Amino acid sequence: MSSAAVDRTATPAEAQRLRRRRRVNPALWFVAPFGVAFALFFLLPIGYAVYESLFKTSSSGLGLSAPTRSFVGLENYGDALSSSDFRSSIGRVLLFGLIQVPVMILLATILALILESGRVHFKSFFRVSYFLPYGVPGVIASLLWGFLYVPATSPIVEVLGHVGVHADFLSSDTVLGSIVNIVTWEFAGYNMLILIAALQGIPDELYEAARVDGAGSFRIAWHIKLPLLRPSIILATVFTIIGTLQLFAEPLVLKPLSTAINSSYTPNLSAYNQAFSNDNYSLAAAEAVIVAVIAFALSFGFLRIVNRKGRSAW
Amino acid sequence: MPLFIKYYYCVVTAANPRRGASVEESEEKLKRVGSVSRARRARALLGVAALSATVALSACGSSDDDGAATSASTTSGGGGAPVEVRFASWVPNIRNAVELFNREHRDIHVTLEEMTAGPDGGYAKLLSAVRAGNAPDVAQVGYDQLPAFLIAGALEDVTEYAADDESKFIPWQWRQGVFGDKVYAIPQASGPMAFYYRKDLFQRWGVEPPRTWDDFAAAADRIKARGASIVTFPPTQAPFFMGLAQQAGQQWFTPESDAWKVTVDNPDTQRMAAYWQGLLDRRAVATMPDMSTEWYKALQTGRVVGWIGASWGDALLRQGAPRTAGKWAVADMPQWQAGGDVVSASWGGGSASAILRGTKNAEAATEFAVWLNSNLDSVNLLLTDGYGWPAVADPRQVTGLQDDPTVFKFYGGQNIWEVFARADAGVDVDWAWPPTSGELYASVTDELKKAVEGGSLPEAVRAVQSQAVAQLKAKNLSVAGE
Repeated sequence: MSSAAVDRTATPAEAQRLRRRRRVNPALWFVAPFGVAFALFFLLPIGYAVYESLFKTSSSGLGLSAPTRSFVGLENYGDALSSSDFRSSIGRVLLFGLIQVPVMILLATILALILESGRVHFKSFFRVSYFLPYGVPGVIASLLWGFLYVPATSPIVEVLGHVGVHADFLSSDTVLGSIVNIVTWEFAGYNMLILIAALQGIPDELYEAARVDGAGSFRIAWHIKLPLLRPSIILATVFTIIGTLQLFAEPLVLKPLSTAINSSYTPNLSAYNQAFSNDNYSLAAAEAVIVAVIAFALSFGFLRIVNRKGRSAW
Repeated sequence: MPLFIKYYYCVVTAANPRRGASVEESEEKLKRVGSVSRARRARALLGVAALSATVALSACGSSDDDGAATSASTTSGGGGAPVEVRFASWVPNIRNAVELFNREHRDIHVTLEEMTAGPDGGYAKLLSAVRAGNAPDVAQVGYDQLPAFLIAGALEDVTEYAADDESKFIPWQWRQGVFGDKVYAIPQASGPMAFYYRKDLFQRWGVEPPRTWDDFAAAADRIKARGASIVTFPPTQAPFFMGLAQQAGQQWFTPESDAWKVTVDNPDTQRMAAYWQGLLDRRAVATMPDMSTEWYKALQTGRVVGWIGASWGDALLRQGAPRTAGKWAVADMPQWQAGGDVVSASWGGGSASAILRGTKNAEAATEFAVWLNSNLDSVNLLLTDGYGWPAVADPRQVTGLQDDPTVFKFYGGQNIWEVFARADAGVDVDWAWPPTSGELYASVTDELKKAVEGGSLPEAVRAVQSQAVAQLKAKNLSVAGE
């Protein structure tokens, strides 16, 4: 049925309905490049990793001949979960998250509130300088901090040494805290920027009304800014949770410098070791899938908790 | 990943019409926008498509000869184009030898691809490349990794091309590249270990270079009293510890008829472990990682005054501690038995040029590998750049080993290659590497770290024993006695 025929014989309402149906939703044009990239760089590798994790490569005898590949189902998952090193790496990264997430969000919120309090001089300078560490790639940041932690090259350790404090940033007691420091330095500015953007969206009338009612700055921050920031804080928290579970670059770079970091310090490091030292890609894929599932569960669990009682925050 | 989510979120909210407006109102707006800018939209979409196409094509078009093609080798006019051979290595300045080969051979052209050092990730990259089918023809692979490459199906059998070349090389090094009577790799160099030490400081403090391990412990205490460390015991250096074990006596892995005998936890190794544990307990040695910034600084300031290192370590010392030039000397590695022949060890076995599976020019690749490692001009070029102790059958023919002023000046004029020749003759040639050497190194490193942190080296040796057995079993290999 041609469009001309429809226009001539249909009623105005019908014609309008038909025109609406035939027009492609313009949103799809915008989402298409994202969709293609998403499928290629996200869905495809994940699918391949799951596929790879169901196989196993093995040899026999002395091992001086080519190996054979066989389908083993969930055996790799069993091996990963029964390895005490892998389990303790998951525990370690959860502990890391428990410390890291509150520290990060607290710092980002405080910085955002300070910068948006209206009393700061050179606001954009500070905003840029807090955000600058995010522009430093994770590996470079870890190298820089590595030099600051190693006693032979660290001015911090030297200065502390002069005042009688023997600082060891890379021992087994302190190395996790040192990594928390690096990650916070890298990402606090990024999270702060998310919160500043949200703060700038709050209409000024609310502040005026509050001041008329006699509220001081702290009351305004607590009763107006924070509740309205809630969705952004939740967003930042979800990103931080996912990020802390993926901890990899910082321990990898600090590994040659510290006796406390072994090859399965974090789950991602363990998977990396399995793939590139042990040449066991299937086990590495299984470990990676396990980490992804845990990250997924934690993020969703967190969102469910904060979205209770129908108060959909995000 | 957060970027994707943010992008998607923004786009979806932007595409929804403003809440509260009537459907007709938004309809009208969209229709107006649509009709006016239809042409503009078409042009915009065309632009986006062209841009993405350009980006995609430029990404695909990146060439994969990362190392610049060497020399100006012209294609021989009548006899067809020269055979192309790709060679990957991390030995510094090996380009000089490759260029020499290209000048002298018109029928083969070798392209050098510089790669990350094997232990730092280069091996993983090679194995992935073999799987992907685009690996180089010849690659630098350590003796310790050859069994692992074999088990991964990454080596090419080149027996037919290399069988005549056996006599050019030292027998034990030739055997490193031979498995089941098939030749897979051409040996390049080994890493015999000796004791580098600061002669000036030893003389100033009245310390003799130690001949036995007992002497070494006594010297360590005396040097500690002066506020320095005789050596560092690096917790991150598995080949160092394994070299000490090799020198101590019994080897860790023995291939029996169809199973591996694992004897990491043996009396000789335990004796060595207990000895070093004593030094660690007394804090008579430092525990910083070697070949690191911290260590180079310690060498330059005289905080660390010695190094039990391999022959190729000479280049590292000259580059990393230039302020100490002329003050070093080299002595034999301390011995367990006084008198008798020098017993030494090899750091990580050594290096070979392996021909990788999937090569289309196995004959040319083998010819290049043999030339690189046996031609005297090539060997001399490689020696000055610190590639290891040559595998050629008669090292006396290598002029660089007889007289090397640039190197000897650093050691106050001493001919250090004499010491390493003795060391090379004293290496236990029966030391075998298991196919799980990657995992083994990771285990040893982890256990050494634990030991230095407050554990014990004897305990670390026992842990490595059980882990090594588990690693072989995980690959479904047979372990004798299990």
